[in-house]
Amino acid sequence: MSVDFDFTQEQYALRDMARDLFEKESSPARLRELWNGAERDARTWKMLAEVGILGLAVPEKHGGSGGTMLDLVLVLEEAGRSALPGPFVETAAIAAPTLDDAGLQQRLATGDLVVSVGVDASPFVLDADVADALLLQRGDEVHLVMSGDFSCKPARSIDLARRIFTIDDVETTTLVSHDAQRMLARAAVATAAVLNGIGMRLVEMTQSYVASRKQFGKPVGSFQAVQHKLADMHVAVESSRPLAWYAAYADTHGLPDAVTAAHAAKAHASETSKLVNQEALQCHGGIGFTWEHDLHLWLKRAKALENAYGTATEHRAAIARGLFDA
Amino acid sequence: MDLEFTPEQEAFRAELRAWLLEKAPRGLPSSGTREGIDAHRDWEKTVHAAGYAGLRWPVEYGGRGADAVTQAIFEEEYFLAGAPERVTQIGVNLMGPTLMVHGTEEQKRAWLPRILSADDLWSQGFSEPDAGSDLAGLATRAVREGDHFVVNGQKIWTSYGAFADWIFALVRTDPDAPKHAGITFLAIDMRSPGVEARPLVQLDGEAGFAEVFFTDVRVPVSNVIGDVNAGWSVAMTTLGFERDAPSKAAARYARDVRELVAIARARGLSQDPIVRDRIAALYCEAESYRLHALRTLTRLARGESIGPEASITKLLWSELERRMYEFGMELLGPHAESEETSPARWHRKYWFARAATIYAGTSEIQRNIVAQRVLALPKG
Repeated sequence: MSVDFDFTQEQYALRDMARDLFEKESSPARLRELWNGAERDARTWKMLAEVGILGLAVPEKHGGSGGTMLDLVLVLEEAGRSALPGPFVETAAIAAPTLDDAGLQQRLATGDLVVSVGVDASPFVLDADVADALLLQRGDEVHLVMSGDFSCKPARSIDLARRIFTIDDVETTTLVSHDAQRMLARAAVATAAVLNGIGMRLVEMTQSYVASRKQFGKPVGSFQAVQHKLADMHVAVESSRPLAWYAAYADTHGLPDAVTAAHAAKAHASETSKLVNQEALQCHGGIGFTWEHDLHLWLKRAKALENAYGTATEHRAAIARGLFDA
Repeated sequence: MDLEFTPEQEAFRAELRAWLLEKAPRGLPSSGTREGIDAHRDWEKTVHAAGYAGLRWPVEYGGRGADAVTQAIFEEEYFLAGAPERVTQIGVNLMGPTLMVHGTEEQKRAWLPRILSADDLWSQGFSEPDAGSDLAGLATRAVREGDHFVVNGQKIWTSYGAFADWIFALVRTDPDAPKHAGITFLAIDMRSPGVEARPLVQLDGEAGFAEVFFTDVRVPVSNVIGDVNAGWSVAMTTLGFERDAPSKAAARYARDVRELVAIARARGLSQDPIVRDRIAALYCEAESYRLHALRTLTRLARGESIGPEASITKLLWSELERRMYEFGMELLGPHAESEETSPARWHRKYWFARAATIYAGTSEIQRNIVAQRVLALPKG
């Protein structure tokens, strides 16, 4: 059969497995602990390695699963659904396919190499203090710097479950790639998928809230004004997801429009996220505007990721260059 | 995931493209005129003779039994060739498939071949002046007299109503039953005495739809599709086919984006960051629709039905069109005021798109469906 814009049974099974694991390891209770300053839990990272998720995009001969961006994209959505903390995108989706060193890839797949990523456009690097290595964009180049060869200073994210740092005193680096575009495209696709997953969770949370919250003697979700907001949220998220899937497909098969597809995926996911973020809170009413309710854990993660690896406007500007200046 | 077409599908595309290039007429008169409808009917007969009518219809009814992907290839090539509007679409996409499910053998034999050959043009008699979004509130009455029904009432917004040969109409046969339970699905020959169609000039200046009046129209009982008073479920079958009908070819929106770029260039705005941002956003939306349509096509190709999620598709393309052409008009600046100074097709697209969020279920109804039937929110 042709035109099969869907995933395989194996890819869905992997997603289900990731969903179960992420929901356990990244429960709202656990996220709250992180918000309250709990230490990062290395055990979760080991579990991601044991089930083969970290090394999904590492070649089999280097101890990975030999998978692709397409195998990862539904797992990334699940990472968003559960607001999974830590540099999962950076290690599993950006570093795994970018590192070309067998030894490093092997360590990455076993959970022994936490990698984070720094890009020119952002002053921050996630989890730099626990990272064993950083991939740093320098213009068109990507450099690798090992822990010990840089220093970092903590900053405070709007999402307290995200530990961000500024980087100083980078000493020795190794040139890894002359194609920073490709790495940035992967970062954009992966982050778009995570954002879409957050969107799915926000729709679920809002759907269940408005179905149970009663005013005027009936569920607020029975009012058309509220229903239409939910419909718009759902339509926005469901029409954003295929852009990330296609971008993953284009990356996997090295299609000529892979970079454009990544721009479109992230531009649309960020734009969608803004809408979903606003309406989720609006539909929750006052309770959504508190720290007590779990909603803000997702709202803030989304807000951080909307601008990570390129804002909607920046990605659209790149698309426009393709449309006008090519 | 595999987005490659098979060699057979590519061969079909190539053969079809060559045929359209050779045969598809340009600049037929408007289908809202007698001359135009005849020209369009002639073209439909050419399509049928070449074996391209009703691709997805089963072979036993004269179709090719093709899958949804082949149909989608057809729609895309047909659009890209700039081939004429399909005046048989209501018969081929709605009435034919409905008959295949609910019709008697006799009804199928009488009507199906003539739908496919364009000998009969069909129109859809659902909406009434007081029954739009609340379709089940329809009031057109049909009273049984022996082996006939006598029909009185009015339908409106009936596409091809002024020139169609037949209309399938929802009529009230039991005014005392709950509103969904007293409706019958009736095929009415529009050449019967007492049928009067009055063309309505649309906002875009075209005479596309009509009001249809029924005054003591006698319709044989044998023209009932399904059972008397069970017309609502037949109509739901029809609407199901409407939802699963071929999606709007996504190629049209990719072309629209390219045209926006050309207009921006012509207006000296190609370096304007706001113009570039807006066009890039429309590019993303067009891509989003293209990929959503592929997702839907994948399900149809497996023989699945889309169900209430088809409302997502309708919302996506109809609202995309509105934003796309609205921005196109703004981009044309003062030139947009006159068709003499701007591409006339932008005006046509713009005004016609304004109907898209109203017909076949308004955007508000589509959102209700998404909320209540996809997201299972309680009915208000």
